[in-house]
Amino acid sequence: MAIQTVRVAMRPELRDPPGEDVLYEIRHALHIASVERVRTARVYRFEGISPEGAETLTRQLLAEQVFQICSVNGPVLSGADKYLEVAYKPGVMNPEAASLLKAARDLGIEGLVAADSSREYAFYGSSIGVDDLAAITGRLLVNATVEQVVSAPPRTLLIEGVSASTHTYPIRTMDDAALLDLSREKLFLNLAEMQAIKEYFTTLGRDPTDCEVEVIAQTWSEHCGHKTFKARIVVDGVEKKPLYERLKQATRQAAHPLVLSAFVDNAGVLAFYEGQAILGKVETHNSPSAIEPYGGAMTGSGGVFRDIMGTGRGAKVVASTDMFCFAPPDIAEASVPSGCLHPHYLLRRVVAGVRDYGNRMGIPTTNGSVHFHADFRAKPTVIVGAYGLMPASLSGKGEARPGDLGVVVGGRTGRDGIHGATFSSGAMTDRTVAVNASAVQIGHAIEEKRVSDALLVARDAGMIRALTDCGAGGFGSALGEMGAEVGVEVFLAQVPLKYSGLAPWEIFESESQERMVLAVDPADWDKLQELCRRFNVEATVIARFTGDGRLKVSYAGEMVCDLDMGFVHDGLPESVLEATWQNPSLTEPDLPPPTDWAAVYRRVMGHLNVCSKEPIVRRYDHGVQGAAAIYPYGGVEGDGPNDAALCVLLPGRPYAMVVSHGLNPVLNNIDPYQGALWAATEAVANAVAVGADFRELALIDNFIWPAPTAQLLGSLDRAVDALVDFVAATGMPFISGKDSLSSTFRGRGQTIEIPPVVCISCFGRVADVSRTVSADFKRAGSEIWLVGRRDTSRMAGSVYYDLHGVLGRNLPVIDPAQLPAVFGTLHRAIDTGAVLACHDIAEGGLAAALAEMGLGGGLGARVEMPSGDRPEWFLFNETPGCFLVELAPGTDGVALFAGIPAVRVGNTTIKETVEAGFRGAVLFELALDDLRQAYQKPMREVFGS
Amino acid sequence: MKPRVMVLRTDGTNCDEETFSAFNKAGGDSRLVHINQLRSGAEKLVDCQIMAIPGGFSYGDDVHSGKILAVELISSLKEQLLAFLAAGKPVLGICNGFQVLVRTGILPGGNPGTISVALMGNDSGHFECRWIKLRVEKSDCIFTRGLEGEVLDMMVAHGEGKLYTDTATLAEMENRNQVVFRYVGADGTPSDRYPENPNGSSRAVAGLCDPRGLVLGLMPHPERIVEFTQHPNWRRGGCNATPALTIFRNAVAYAREM
Repeated sequence: MAIQTVRVAMRPELRDPPGEDVLYEIRHALHIASVERVRTARVYRFEGISPEGAETLTRQLLAEQVFQICSVNGPVLSGADKYLEVAYKPGVMNPEAASLLKAARDLGIEGLVAADSSREYAFYGSSIGVDDLAAITGRLLVNATVEQVVSAPPRTLLIEGVSASTHTYPIRTMDDAALLDLSREKLFLNLAEMQAIKEYFTTLGRDPTDCEVEVIAQTWSEHCGHKTFKARIVVDGVEKKPLYERLKQATRQAAHPLVLSAFVDNAGVLAFYEGQAILGKVETHNSPSAIEPYGGAMTGSGGVFRDIMGTGRGAKVVASTDMFCFAPPDIAEASVPSGCLHPHYLLRRVVAGVRDYGNRMGIPTTNGSVHFHADFRAKPTVIVGAYGLMPASLSGKGEARPGDLGVVVGGRTGRDGIHGATFSSGAMTDRTVAVNASAVQIGHAIEEKRVSDALLVARDAGMIRALTDCGAGGFGSALGEMGAEVGVEVFLAQVPLKYSGLAPWEIFESESQERMVLAVDPADWDKLQELCRRFNVEATVIARFTGDGRLKVSYAGEMVCDLDMGFVHDGLPESVLEATWQNPSLTEPDLPPPTDWAAVYRRVMGHLNVCSKEPIVRRYDHGVQGAAAIYPYGGVEGDGPNDAALCVLLPGRPYAMVVSHGLNPVLNNIDPYQGALWAATEAVANAVAVGADFRELALIDNFIWPAPTAQLLGSLDRAVDALVDFVAATGMPFISGKDSLSSTFRGRGQTIEIPPVVCISCFGRVADVSRTVSADFKRAGSEIWLVGRRDTSRMAGSVYYDLHGVLGRNLPVIDPAQLPAVFGTLHRAIDTGAVLACHDIAEGGLAAALAEMGLGGGLGARVEMPSGDRPEWFLFNETPGCFLVELAPGTDGVALFAGIPAVRVGNTTIKETVEAGFRGAVLFELALDDLRQAYQKPMREVFGS
Repeated sequence: MKPRVMVLRTDGTNCDEETFSAFNKAGGDSRLVHINQLRSGAEKLVDCQIMAIPGGFSYGDDVHSGKILAVELISSLKEQLLAFLAAGKPVLGICNGFQVLVRTGILPGGNPGTISVALMGNDSGHFECRWIKLRVEKSDCIFTRGLEGEVLDMMVAHGEGKLYTDTATLAEMENRNQVVFRYVGADGTPSDRYPENPNGSSRAVAGLCDPRGLVLGLMPHPERIVEFTQHPNWRRGGCNATPALTIFRNAVAYAREM
């Protein structure tokens, strides 16, 4: 059928911000000077309508004359030296297409069968070379995984495929080499696991179908099965309990009264107030983000939101967090391994993905951080968290009953993300981008939002018996888990598809986003269907829970899978893993004291791990839902960072949920035990700094590790031990967690192990939000106190050392047994109202915390350093669990902080400088504005504002 | 009796619950209504005294922000909408709701189907969330009675908020006192500088009403500052959430007297 093409651009006399943005990146990320100007146009294609229909659509929908120009079936940009049109590849769902179809229907346009949109770029500059355009195309505008340059107009927008059928693998006759061939790049299972599958089917006396092999592979994948965390471990000859079991046991022993659900559901649940519960989940999305950062970050956000939506009988998502690790954005192109994307591009695109998903879905992004280290150049770490609210009475995991219907709600199923679960578990190689292109997709936040709207109404009407999200492993995983006890029969031909041509196993394993699976009493089905229709949500019965304990899948009458649930879920061969631990051989440097204090202070504030991330935060909506009672940045000019998020979840009531986190990957290269303790202590300290009571908090763990060798497993073992010790000492339980053990890159001739990351998230409840504090100094003449125990000589892993190019060996030593007294006393101090401001000391040390408090308050400070200490240690030591506290003059700090280490270090000043005295002399005095500029410069350069 | 407030929602609406709460706090009786309930006849606009189109990303803001919903309103619900407006009942559009009202033509001229003003992409080229200062201008807008001349702290959170039109339309709106809010700097005077003016709006316009003062649209979010703890600096003292709540109270009071 004929295709009408409409092009729309800004009026030539008006600015074109998207074009200016591209130009900024061409100059700052690609360093190409030949392009003088970039203009952009939107291109819309419609199949099946007349040119007159296209004219109507243009006038009433696509172009607004006030500020735009347009053309039907002709060019709209002119006079440029080079032109380029970029579109999604066929099969990648363009979320805009559905809106175009809807609006055309509302306008009464007839005959439209398909629509698409893309973007056209016009580059002005007479000396733009072929190489320039290739770089702009390849490194900036087109991610070949999902996008393509449109070189000739498409002949049709309809996607069709040849229907594939089910076939079997002759696994019973395969030798070990053939088994491994089948596993490689498809199943990611080891030989013992492949042999177990062979044995099972040999016993059955038949060969498996492709669907069966895929179901087993994804259930047994590291991503879904967490094999390493569930394995017995022998550490240097001593057998220890599985890592996962140790964390769960620590939580059980903590017996925390607020815990409603830990480690059994998609998220961990805590009691809130007035019959409500809060819940949290933190996920990683590293592999997809590494190859398609925008889509990867989007689906990461979408997935963790669905974890919240799919906990208990359903919850509302009320907050999100994001923690990223990248290589420095200015790293040389040559040091980025072949097959990997440059961190400048990755950072901007990941931020854009988190922005577009969270903002559109209306989830406030309330807390986060970005860390930089060159060893992330092969693969970033992208961690996304989500928090929710639900009635406590519905927080228990629902259970499907025999006879219940299995219903899919939300998006349609396509070939998206086939092999996402198994792919996440394999190491990345320089072939990953080419081979696993189908493993990423573009998220559709609006689909997920309307699913959420519908499910919350359905939940409150009692229509949901059980639900879960359809994430990694697709229906195979969701229905397999939901039916693990009772058994389920799935009818694949009933699944709504995006396009034809999917093989049955692909339908079953597809990881298309924005789908939830429900168990519904047949008596409620009609009402549920009607409700979903009201919200423009598709709901379809695709399965029935049986009671026979089997996983049966059929396609149009043909059985494609018939497995015993017992084998799928418990048939994985138990493994025993060998681990060893040796301290890395590191030395402690002896650095001479600085000579130019001002220069060092500025460099610390401008260090990538200290500098302001405000340009990122401003791209996220952190105020939607109206619950925020503290913002990521606050103070007089709105540029002083705060430590944690506080969300008032019940309008008009005083209660708040607090959310914070901690991580410092570089420390794990020195000692993962202290590194993990650092992360946990920092997470809790951030919550305590705003006024939370540590006894009302719980923790979430994320381990992102290279594929474990014996030494790396030894380091993981130490990190887990640290967290278990932390729980024992503080009583704070872990209630949810996730491990991702695939951050190894194997390219041509090089293997890069990404630094192990322990990210600890912390959330809980606060009884009265009016008794909480922010970090900005409130008034001149206040006393500044340093609270917490620290040995300033222990400087390893600090920003200060990094500025000197050294790592060091002597990490800050944290004694978890000391923390309850510090955290508890500080909480009580804040609760009395005597504390005007409080800020946690972390990267950049006391000096960075002091500057940030000053920037926020528009006030200076004078500190006197202890005469017995080295000033650079006092200023830049990064021991966590320590705080700077502003007390109103006349407050008895000694009494307030009785029993814990606390010392008055100075006072706030009206003069906007930081002045440091040492042994009776002024060591330095530096204008706040100087520090502000250093602090804000790095991310402004990356983001352009 | 409390005036009924219809808070309209559709796919991608996401500031509906806080708008619902703000109107309730102001004395209204809010109800969330999906546009499909209006289209099916299950709910009727005529049953309400106030209509609010909240913020969000209706239909993903595809094509233009608010455009798909605007097309739906004037193609499928035009009669109900015209009757509601003709009855002189107040309409509030916040952020995405403002974009919808402008793209239907209800603002500024009150002519559904005739678009005379655009809300286009921010000059910064991206979505932006920050607190700004807003001056209440002299107008006949019923929502801002008693607030004229006050400077309010409010949050903006949008990617397409730059108000743009030709000079004649701009002058006409100003002459008719249809400019209700302007972005101002620390000194309280209108600003064309970023970030005080966060999107590059012409003449620093942040909000408009129709010539009768009954339909108000604004980019900033008054519903996010109806409790003092929502202010970014409530701990510094001197922060006041009352003026934004007054916007909702005025609408409720007006509807009660109708």
